[in-house]
Amino acid sequence: MLEANKSEQDWQAHLQLEYSRRPHGTVLSKNQHTGPLLVQKPLYPEHKEICHSYILHPPGGLVQGDCLQLDIDVLENAHALVTTPAATKFYRCEEKVSKVIQSISVSEQAKLEWLPQENLLFNESLVNLETIIKLTPESKFIGWEMLCLGRKASNEKYTSGSCRQSFEIWRNDEPLYIERSHLSGSQDVMTQPWGLDNKPVSATMLATNCDKEVLLQVREIIEEHNEKTSISVTLKEDLLICRYLGEQAEKARSAFAAIWSIIRPITMGYNSHNPRIWST
Amino acid sequence: MNDIRLWQLISPALPIGAYAYSQGFESAVENQLITSEDQAYQWISGLLQQSIGQLDSPIYLRLHQAWQSKQYDDLLYWHRYLQASRESSEFLSEDQQLGTALLRLLKSLSDNEDKFFQASIEQIKEIKKPSFLLIYTLAVVLWDIDKLAGLKGFLWSWCENQVAAAIKLVPLGQTSGQILLKKLMPAIDTVSSQAEAIVDENIGSFSMGLSILSAKHEQQYSRLFRS
Repeated sequence: MLEANKSEQDWQAHLQLEYSRRPHGTVLSKNQHTGPLLVQKPLYPEHKEICHSYILHPPGGLVQGDCLQLDIDVLENAHALVTTPAATKFYRCEEKVSKVIQSISVSEQAKLEWLPQENLLFNESLVNLETIIKLTPESKFIGWEMLCLGRKASNEKYTSGSCRQSFEIWRNDEPLYIERSHLSGSQDVMTQPWGLDNKPVSATMLATNCDKEVLLQVREIIEEHNEKTSISVTLKEDLLICRYLGEQAEKARSAFAAIWSIIRPITMGYNSHNPRIWST
Repeated sequence: MNDIRLWQLISPALPIGAYAYSQGFESAVENQLITSEDQAYQWISGLLQQSIGQLDSPIYLRLHQAWQSKQYDDLLYWHRYLQASRESSEFLSEDQQLGTALLRLLKSLSDNEDKFFQASIEQIKEIKKPSFLLIYTLAVVLWDIDKLAGLKGFLWSWCENQVAAAIKLVPLGQTSGQILLKKLMPAIDTVSSQAEAIVDENIGSFSMGLSILSAKHEQQYSRLFRS
């Protein structure tokens, strides 16, 4: 976007987080921000090995022209769990887009659990959402992204917005998972059964270092969840991919949290511990 | 341009086993999402334009270019990019099995003295499971088939395969199948002519419903088509 197009009211926020491993555990070794996007303090609800962080966005939503940039670096042997206290809202835009750009890197032997709440797109929002995750052969990742189009509470449908979304995982500079979508109110992808099938909520969960054993356990959980028609799981080499397509972000969240509690002890080595902020 | 070689390359009789896969169509029928000729048309033409058209066709052009100009790094990059974009385990393994089978066939059909072919397969020998388009584009270059004709041929054979699945599964009559193919022709033209305009940053597809159906197909109890 041209500089001249930006008004003074646009929020340009940038948060940089870095996690390092020290003898006593993982520390948040860098926590720098400009603009309204921040982490107040590192939390240790489990133990010192795993640093939990809540990313706060005080304005509570993005208007046109806003750009949030987030960089996370999990250095060697560190273990971080990052979440958000609320959905990220994208309000109606007139011409300029609202952008969120997330760049995440997980070093050798490091672990990241990337568990943000959903992106909630109001009707007529114009959104650019980019997430790129860079891994090494020995790093471990569990994460998800949830997209909610329109506000169900007020019966609002996403009939005239536009969203360009990409979610990528790279390992050793080679692409491991690529998803790119262009969703706009009028396209077939919104209504056709191969696309979003007129459903407002779509979500994808990804976990590395999984195997057939994990796949079978996750399949069981999905069946118990009684959401057979809207949740699926597949295993591409060591990458487990779960998907949800349905009416409610809460359902995606609770299903993914249940799946996470199965995978976490196996790949991360710890029992699941729901961040307290999820229940507030 | 070598028309007849293209007909061989896209013939349903080509022994690579493409007919064994339904690309999610079987699961869609099982879930009663496709019960008529019209729904079959909506399904196939939608995926052709918004999935194949946004992912496979622009990558076809890049792979073709890479073979022609011997840019082997680009070749590996787009091959990996394509595999990273496959939505499910069954889609990935289908792609790899067709690629492997086509490479084997290409070796049997090629002249051992052909230096271009030998140099080309030397470049990809590290790739144990080549994607179908990686090998298909090699055949197009090797057999001197026109680039755009090769792309249209690829799109045509994808449609033909989907229509064959529709005839078996919906089920539809043979004539219905031909009507479907005729209706899909304009979309093949549109997709192939728009592929050049797609920039790298926009290459990729997102078909949530299909992805979920494909993952379910991996577990479907009784299947006509392979997973």
